Amino acid sequence: MSARDAIVLAGIGETRVGRLPGLSSVELQAEAVLRAVKDAGLSLRDVDGVLNLGPYVQPSSMFATTLAEYLGISPTFCATIDVGGTVTGMTMIQNAIWAIEQGQCEVAVCTFGENALTGRAQGVQGLKMDNLLGGEEWEEPFGVQGMVIPYALLAQMYRDDHGAGDADFGAIATVTRAHALLNDNAQMTKPMGLDDYRASRMIATPLRLFDCSLVSDGAGAVVLMRAERAQRLNARQVAVRAVAQKTTHNSAAALPDIADLGMAEAGARAFEAAGMGPGDMHMLALHDAFTISVLITLEALGFARPGEAGALARSGDLSLGGRWPLNTHGGLLSQAHVGGMLHIVEAVRQLSGDAGKRQIEGARRALVSGNGGVFSVCGAMILEAA
Amino acid sequence: MSDPADLWAPLPRPTAFSATFWDRAGAGELALPKCDACGELHYPPRRHCPACGGEALTWTAMSGGATVVSHSTVMTSFHGQDWTGQLPYVVALVDLDEGPRMLTRLIGAETTARGDRVRVTFAEVQGRRLPYVTPEEPA
Repeated sequence: MSARDAIVLAGIGETRVGRLPGLSSVELQAEAVLRAVKDAGLSLRDVDGVLNLGPYVQPSSMFATTLAEYLGISPTFCATIDVGGTVTGMTMIQNAIWAIEQGQCEVAVCTFGENALTGRAQGVQGLKMDNLLGGEEWEEPFGVQGMVIPYALLAQMYRDDHGAGDADFGAIATVTRAHALLNDNAQMTKPMGLDDYRASRMIATPLRLFDCSLVSDGAGAVVLMRAERAQRLNARQVAVRAVAQKTTHNSAAALPDIADLGMAEAGARAFEAAGMGPGDMHMLALHDAFTISVLITLEALGFARPGEAGALARSGDLSLGGRWPLNTHGGLLSQAHVGGMLHIVEAVRQLSGDAGKRQIEGARRALVSGNGGVFSVCGAMILEAA
Repeated sequence: MSDPADLWAPLPRPTAFSATFWDRAGAGELALPKCDACGELHYPPRRHCPACGGEALTWTAMSGGATVVSHSTVMTSFHGQDWTGQLPYVVALVDLDEGPRMLTRLIGAETTARGDRVRVTFAEVQGRRLPYVTPEEPA
């Protein structure tokens, strides 16, 4: 057992997702934390490390201390971390491990959640995320606002690189929708076939509505502690074998070619650190803010050759029962968009063997990917049942 | 929406440094900062050279020639009623002939494709001229 294995993910918490009017972002995060702490067999008084990401839909500062005060706790390590929506979760986990290793705290919670669906300012159609990509001076005058258009530019690049089409993008959307139907806590409840995908309206070519993730209220949380303590509590024990990150740019105005994005390097370093490869993984929890995100990530991490990720999805390998079931909770596309937190919660759930009717038999190792911005910050994390 | 007469956009809010970019655009010239020390041209403009950290930068006029890297036709706006009147519009990611990559908007055509040649053009929006691209005239 390496030093890193001495600290494990020992509890998970997930709120309801979807439209939850009247709940504030701090209330949602607190609910997820309370559930995760209880899941680990502890009480709030045991928590002395708090890491979170503040809401994107309201301006906030010092949101970790906001959460600590709300919960009525006085942690010895408290930090808000923001490297973008879906890579922040694993970055919080990495920092929590370091904090516990260094003796700064013993029980750390990591959480993200917000009321992105019902908590937006009145009269604002899009998410109120000023400076989201840091380049609004170089984007907004040209009609680039929000996240869809930057990803549409990547999607068009991918189509031109490989001659890819609707069947490839639609395969990702339909596979994850099928999984969401097995999750009682998912916003999307209707089956989706390729024809339904094709019939969905165009948002920004080549991305259709069903290429885009959901907007959600909700929160997720995990608890980390030393393995001995988790054993004594008879709690979950999922080890973090590796976390690796790579930043290449920030704004869509500085968007590189797909081959120059950071996911391949992050993935290669994570696999090397863990002494594992794609063939060792039993499930994938991949960033899926858009279908194109999954196509790019599958290829960057070595699960498919360039241009063949859509074929991999159509082969059944990414479905439950296949080689690498993808986003068995439904992901950002069909469950809810709560940053990357529910990807991590789902991976821990699967590796603990209690994913119910969507359980992957014998799942022991998971690859989690995330990115912030438009593949601006890429991260890969490998989890293993301890 | 490609008739320049109907263009709308939120105007940039420049810094003391980047104001030169927008002022030169207003005069019908696309100028980028070039590092006196290492010769690097960069975009978006910033006060320090992203190749070497140099602070001595010279605004340098570009030829205006560019090649399309990617593009998207925006059909739905989530960003307020002001954009609705612009739909559909084409966002273009282009590589300037001098090297730097630029995100802008295509005007004067309904669509474009990777590898298409375009040139920088300037169109007035709310009293300010902004740099867009438009298809290069056939030779």
